[in-house]
Amino acid sequence: MEIRLENINKIFKGDKKKGVEDTIAVSNLNIKVNNGELAGLLGPSGCGKSTTLYMIAGLKEPSSGNIFFDKEDVTHLVPEKRGIGLVFQNYALYPHMSVYKNIAFPLTNLKVLTFKQSIKVKTLELLISLLDNDKYLEIKDLINSSTLDSKKINKDLALRNLINKYHISPSFAKTLFSLDYSSKENINDVIIKAKEDINKEKEKLSNKGFSIDNEYYLLDQDNKRIEEKRKLSKDEIDILVRDVAKLVQIEEQLDKKPKELSGGQQQRVAIARALVKKPRVLLLDEPLSNLDARLRIKTREEIRRIQKETGITTIFVTHDQEEAMSICDDIFVMNNGKLMQEGKPIEVYKDPKNLFVAKFLGTPPINVFKGEFKDNAIFVDNEKILDNVTLTNEYEDKSSLEVYVAIRPEGFIFEDNNETLGLSLKVNEISLSGKEQTLICSHNQRLSEQIKIVIDGDNPISIKEYRFKIKPNKIHLFDLKTEERIYFKDISK
Amino acid sequence: MENKNNFKGWIYLMPAIILIALFTLYPLINTFLISFLQDYKYATGSSSGFTFDNYAVLLGIKEFPDYLTGKGQIDAFFQYALPNTLLITFITVPISIVLALIIAVALNSIKKLRTLFQTIFFTPYVTNIIAVGMVFGVLFSQTGLINEILGTSISFIPNQGSEAPTYFHAMLVLCIEIIWYELPFKILVFIGGLQSIDRQYYDAARIDATPKIKRFLHITVPFLSPQILYVSITSFIDGFKEYQAIAGLFNSRGTTSLNYNLYTCVYFIYDQIQTGGQNINYACAAAVILFVIILLFTLLQLYVSKKRVYY
Amino acid sequence: MKTPTLDQNIVLVIDKKGKDTIKTTKLDKTLKIIGLIFVYAFLLIVAFFALLPFYWMILTSLKYQDIGHFTVDNKFYIPFNEIAWSNYIKVFQVDGFDIPSLLVNTLTVVGISTIGTFFITVFASFAFTRLQFKGRDAVFMLFLITMMIPSELFVTSNFITMYRLNLLNGRWQIYFATMAPFLVNVFYIYLLNQTFKQIPNELYLAARVDGKNDWQYLWKVMVPIASPTLITIVLLKVISGWNAYAWPKTVVMGDATYAQITVALRDFADFSIGIGSSSRDLVTLQMAGTVIVTLPLIILFLVFRKYIMRGVGRAGIKG
Repeated sequence: MEIRLENINKIFKGDKKKGVEDTIAVSNLNIKVNNGELAGLLGPSGCGKSTTLYMIAGLKEPSSGNIFFDKEDVTHLVPEKRGIGLVFQNYALYPHMSVYKNIAFPLTNLKVLTFKQSIKVKTLELLISLLDNDKYLEIKDLINSSTLDSKKINKDLALRNLINKYHISPSFAKTLFSLDYSSKENINDVIIKAKEDINKEKEKLSNKGFSIDNEYYLLDQDNKRIEEKRKLSKDEIDILVRDVAKLVQIEEQLDKKPKELSGGQQQRVAIARALVKKPRVLLLDEPLSNLDARLRIKTREEIRRIQKETGITTIFVTHDQEEAMSICDDIFVMNNGKLMQEGKPIEVYKDPKNLFVAKFLGTPPINVFKGEFKDNAIFVDNEKILDNVTLTNEYEDKSSLEVYVAIRPEGFIFEDNNETLGLSLKVNEISLSGKEQTLICSHNQRLSEQIKIVIDGDNPISIKEYRFKIKPNKIHLFDLKTEERIYFKDISK
Repeated sequence: MENKNNFKGWIYLMPAIILIALFTLYPLINTFLISFLQDYKYATGSSSGFTFDNYAVLLGIKEFPDYLTGKGQIDAFFQYALPNTLLITFITVPISIVLALIIAVALNSIKKLRTLFQTIFFTPYVTNIIAVGMVFGVLFSQTGLINEILGTSISFIPNQGSEAPTYFHAMLVLCIEIIWYELPFKILVFIGGLQSIDRQYYDAARIDATPKIKRFLHITVPFLSPQILYVSITSFIDGFKEYQAIAGLFNSRGTTSLNYNLYTCVYFIYDQIQTGGQNINYACAAAVILFVIILLFTLLQLYVSKKRVYY
Repeated sequence: MKTPTLDQNIVLVIDKKGKDTIKTTKLDKTLKIIGLIFVYAFLLIVAFFALLPFYWMILTSLKYQDIGHFTVDNKFYIPFNEIAWSNYIKVFQVDGFDIPSLLVNTLTVVGISTIGTFFITVFASFAFTRLQFKGRDAVFMLFLITMMIPSELFVTSNFITMYRLNLLNGRWQIYFATMAPFLVNVFYIYLLNQTFKQIPNELYLAARVDGKNDWQYLWKVMVPIASPTLITIVLLKVISGWNAYAWPKTVVMGDATYAQITVALRDFADFSIGIGSSSRDLVTLQMAGTVIVTLPLIILFLVFRKYIMRGVGRAGIKG
């Protein structure tokens, strides 16, 4: 489903008596998330990203503007009628319910729209199909092999094996387990009995004026299926819960209480609970912030996999740019309640529209210097770092301008010679990590706290001053006042 | 250094320890001992030896010895005090807990005027139960407001110029008064508990389209279970100890006529002392019986709650 | 036997009346407002019942009643010129309800016992949380256990003790007997312990560096920091002291001159004392007396509402 936010504003009313002013949490926000995409709302804390998510969920109401799910205007619709799944930052798993019950809980509220079926006939037919033609031997083997260490058959294990193998409900598994497999005659008796029951049931139905089609749906006199709206049965819930548990890989934990699980497992349960009701949209609020670094990387890949497998439109909120960059189809960078930039992660990274986005994306962060554009060249502290360029767009006619010069850490080239172009940096610290080394440097015109540059690990560096060459495409210029991007082009050719 | 500190610690604790020893620990043992003494006279401390008879008489197994006076009072323990105590407790405690829970949930669901309502609901807590009893006496008097509203002239309270009330009517007013008086404390504790429940659980339930009644049963009640357990243990204890409400409502006589039929266990104990104390050994035995009942019931609640209370 | 596999054609649906989102939204809003009206109506009814006895008490105390008439009317208001302010003068002249001397008794006992409880609690909590000595935890355990035992188990024996020590006669003897068994309240000690425990140890070390001894540290640092809790404790003690009935009644069996006001209030309308044409029989005067006993605490509560409600809510102390 496509999600559209149009001119969304959210103002939290202050209290004039207490001198608390109104806060503008979100201002004039326009966002469009395409069907089946994984979109990331990205920004520092307090930028309005969580408020935006909660407005999409319906837990908060926009002060103005509209929210659309496809063509449906859901702006003021209560959350329970939006058909969404939401994973909370601290999961909000019900601590007094088992994992199974937590996941099943949303299903107990839902209804299904379906056609009336003869479950009895369907079940009996399935029974026959599983037993007939000596296939019962397979079941017999499975039950007989369901032992723990002793030779005795473990009933719970046998039931679980049956459920997993044949994708059947617990009650049906119990029926299978209770059959006597010792001789073929016994099984044949069961089959004959089942066939008789089917005929009886069909007869009963036809007396009432119904017939059954080949998918066991009841047909009325006009040979039409009969629609019905009803609650899910226990067996249906069981199958849905086990399906989603399998999807997020927590089948083994279903009987535990949430507090017995690790953070990562709790996260999966929370996702399972959001997904089990097959929502139109999945919303994740800082889903990884409570996990440790190693789990975070693993879990974000999981989220990506689950999202791709289900194909569900997903929006997730994070303050961690690396997280968003690594798994999102699209990112929306927000700051102070405003949308700063949107696009594919790599495009936003390569082409930041303003200084905020440039600084917010990338690890280590971009290095910002105070610099100058003059004589068709870019200078930092009177060192020419790039020449033969001219400003474009609205800055085209400017021949000189003070600017912010931002250079990505990977934009430095180590060449131990004194070229005309380059930037002198004093290296203070070196940390080698395999094939790369990160240098922490100082410069008197820097605006970021530290200058961090990343170069090839083979370069012989020691603690002293070097002059680095700069890759032109890693240099971004920004307006001192508006902090908007200033584009420039190469005029050497 | 350590010795010096040892000494100092005991000095600071001395007042508390002396008072507890004198007025709590010693009486505890003393009461227990006296409850097993025959013909105990508190003025002299004399007795005619050890006996189980005090308990036997109170529990209706043995006849009260005819050489002593006050048979009516003593017999009333088993006949009225014990059943009344249980009746009052098992009527007022569940009703007031459920009411308090509903009121607290309603209070918690509003924003405007919440503090005002909370203050109003809490005011009975600081009020004197004796004063409350007297006001209820006026409200429920035979010519009082309640009778006028109901269009009846039922006698609820033994008072001037009215007929003797029936046991049922007297008990009815008593229970209403106790519930009215006990609500504020419970509401306050429940409100505290409700406010500590993370909103996210409710948000999660809303997203999952959980109906309100289900949110109450599957989220509010389990999350409030520690408070419910706490309130139910303390209120059952208080219920078993009911006395002042009766004194406040029905004057200093625990009866609708003259047969002590509104006695409770604690009323019995105080009345034994206040009417001269010649059978004080029975009062001691009654106190021990009450203690055992409270102890057993508290343990039972803790045991039952073990599986149902989520901490 | 039920359906073994989930039907592929099943669609999970949200229960939405009709498919028009805007209509649903409007309906939900209306339902929400109706729900809110119900909640407020319910709360108003509860508030009415919570306040009715107070209103009735004040109202009745201001109605006219002649001696010999046991009843007054049940009107919900009195015209201003018919208000019987004189009831509040008459109530001071009632036999056996000598308000000034009852107030002296009550204020003396409540005052002294509150001060006593304050110091005992502060000292005990200081010892339990700040000082280290052998047997500390055992003593605390013992204290906690006494908290679980119903006080009715002590009264008979305490009465005998008071009798033997000849404390049931004479002004100061009765005052002492009234307050002594309830000077230590383990709940208060427990409550203060919780507050004292939250004071960081660094403050103690800093005070030691500044040359303060334990005594100075207690009064200059710990008590001021814990003052909200201490105010709560003092207020709760005042409330329970003022409202105490059973034990104070027991110790004044011999000499009602030194009774607490609450005890005297109950005896005010004790019909067993004798029905007659005495002004004690007047409901209006009884209610005037009740107002005098009730009002001080209600004012105290309204002024210190936050302290009292927080204290009760947090520790769950019963009065």
